[in-house]
Amino acid sequence: MAPVVFDNVSKKFRRGERHNSLRDLVPAAARRIFRKRPAADTLRDKEFWALRNVSFEVEAGQAIGIIGANGAGKSTTLKVLTKILRPTSGRCAVRGRIGALIEVAAGFHPELTGRENVYLQGAIMGMKRAEIAQRFDEIVEFAGVAESIDTPIKRYSSGMNARLGFSIAAHLRPDVLIIDEVLSVGDITFQQKCFDRMLEFKQQGIAIVLVSHNLQAVGMLCEHAIYLANTVKAMGPTTEILEAYVRDAQKVPESADSAVKIKTVSLSTPAGTVGSHAEIAPRTPMTMRIVARSTRPIDDVTFRFMIHRSTDQLLVFDGQVHRRELGSVAEFDGEFTLEFRFGAYLVAGHYYMSLWVFHNPTRQALMGPQQLATLAITESQSRKGIVDVDFSAALETRVEESEVAR
Amino acid sequence: MRALIADCREMMAEQVEYRELLRQMIVRDLLLRYKQTIMGFGWAVFMPLLNTAIFSVIFTSIAPVQTPVPYPVFAYCGLWIWNFFASALRFSVVSLTTNANLVSKIYFPREIFPFSSILVCLVDFAVGSIVLVALMVWYHVPVGLSLVWLPVIVTVQIVFTAAIALLLSMANLFYRDVKYLFEVVIAVWMFAAPVVYPVERLGGTLGTLVRINPMTPIIEAYRGAILLNSAPPPTFAAAAAGAFALFAIAWVVFHRLEFQFAESI
Repeated sequence: MAPVVFDNVSKKFRRGERHNSLRDLVPAAARRIFRKRPAADTLRDKEFWALRNVSFEVEAGQAIGIIGANGAGKSTTLKVLTKILRPTSGRCAVRGRIGALIEVAAGFHPELTGRENVYLQGAIMGMKRAEIAQRFDEIVEFAGVAESIDTPIKRYSSGMNARLGFSIAAHLRPDVLIIDEVLSVGDITFQQKCFDRMLEFKQQGIAIVLVSHNLQAVGMLCEHAIYLANTVKAMGPTTEILEAYVRDAQKVPESADSAVKIKTVSLSTPAGTVGSHAEIAPRTPMTMRIVARSTRPIDDVTFRFMIHRSTDQLLVFDGQVHRRELGSVAEFDGEFTLEFRFGAYLVAGHYYMSLWVFHNPTRQALMGPQQLATLAITESQSRKGIVDVDFSAALETRVEESEVAR
Repeated sequence: MRALIADCREMMAEQVEYRELLRQMIVRDLLLRYKQTIMGFGWAVFMPLLNTAIFSVIFTSIAPVQTPVPYPVFAYCGLWIWNFFASALRFSVVSLTTNANLVSKIYFPREIFPFSSILVCLVDFAVGSIVLVALMVWYHVPVGLSLVWLPVIVTVQIVFTAAIALLLSMANLFYRDVKYLFEVVIAVWMFAAPVVYPVERLGGTLGTLVRINPMTPIIEAYRGAILLNSAPPPTFAAAAAGAFALFAIAWVVFHRLEFQFAESI
């Protein structure tokens, strides 16, 4: 059996306030104790499904990322995994000790010293006293708070507080690790340390569930991801799932008063047309032709062309072109064709291109941002980063003259 | 039935697994008390002493009562026991709601909160016994062999307190008025028990109340063992059995409702 099994889990919540009068206590308690609950499968007034028939498994040494919009049930999933909530139906089984990097400083008491809090928080996370004592120095060193360990933590900065909390959790040696956005803790150096620690955990064969809005972090740590929208919307290799999620997140509902509407987009390389989901080699010269209709005169407008990296929404390029820079200023309404030319000087990864159209005098958006096409840059060499700088290497070795003579 | 056995096994296993947490919670509360108050443990002695002084004035000068030992010893002993009971409950009632942050965010057996509240008060109880010993020496009250009953009696009181603490802390989580209701009940309850006056010959409604009060045999058992060198009264056995039964029921109910705490808090 996999260390984490989430089997057809559903969780129901109720909106609005609960009216808790003492009069309800006895019948309600009786119902709860004897488990004569109403059919779990139906929704009553004001109820909604935070999770509906969600299933997944995480194997030892596997890291799975859970992504989704706010309110998609991510936190609920974590709370079910950590046993804080019980599913309305379905089964959640976690084998071994659960380490939760959630609210890592929740048990801290401001009046107690760092040292006292380490023991308290450690115990809350389920560590034995001897275990904590044995790793105490390691915990303090990792957190970098050695000098203030005997100071009450109300004097700590929020960063120190969070670092200490994370450090305790990171020394728990769990079988299953559940992480909620902890990579946002502390400064860059500490974040890197955290990340390395996660990778270490993974190599030790610990099953990891990571919930994060930091898609780049999900991409780096997890091979598999789940796109959650109260149900499992997609599950599979991380890059695919991230792309699907970003594509959905980018979908701006076309407003009725959008004056400009795109009819067709075509993307081509010198070798020919490649469609709007192109797979190309780095540094390929690209041409994009957009055919659109406008209900308003396109005179004093600016076109804004952007390239984002899909996995983390990083803005790679942002170019603005005024209508007048494009030559002929003959009035046009109705249909027009726009052509962009650019070089895909990008390293391997997934990118998408989008367009805004602004009306300058009113600063109004006539359209956008509208996604035009996606680019998958593929490359066999190991090049990381963002920009392909047309890198090459050469090595010269000087040969000693005496050796030549010989 | 099988579910019940499984539940009990789980409850025990969790307590063993999280015994360190129970310890740390007690340490936390004691440390906090020591750090945040000037008198620290002095408060554990001060309140029953003050009450003893007040009731000594009332029941020796204004309305004298007949007690088997000098009144201050009699009253302090009663107040010392009652103070343990009442303050343990007072802390447990709000123990879940004041730790809402932990209850809604991290999983561990929630019984730890009421349990640690009681055990913290047990420390105060131990500190308070020093004053009792001093009073007994001062008034020349001898101690006999019946003192061996003391651990049993303390255990019964803790079990009874824990049973009520589990129910009240849980009730206060679902219905916050319990906290206020508790203060009223505990104030009245004290006078329906032989805390500051002997109740052997008490009649009427109050007499009946006193007789059915489970704290009556417990307090009498204490006084017998410590001050009068006598074994606990027969009613103590019934109180003990009742306490254990109530505790078992309360804990199972608590355990079964536990999963709703995070949603309700």
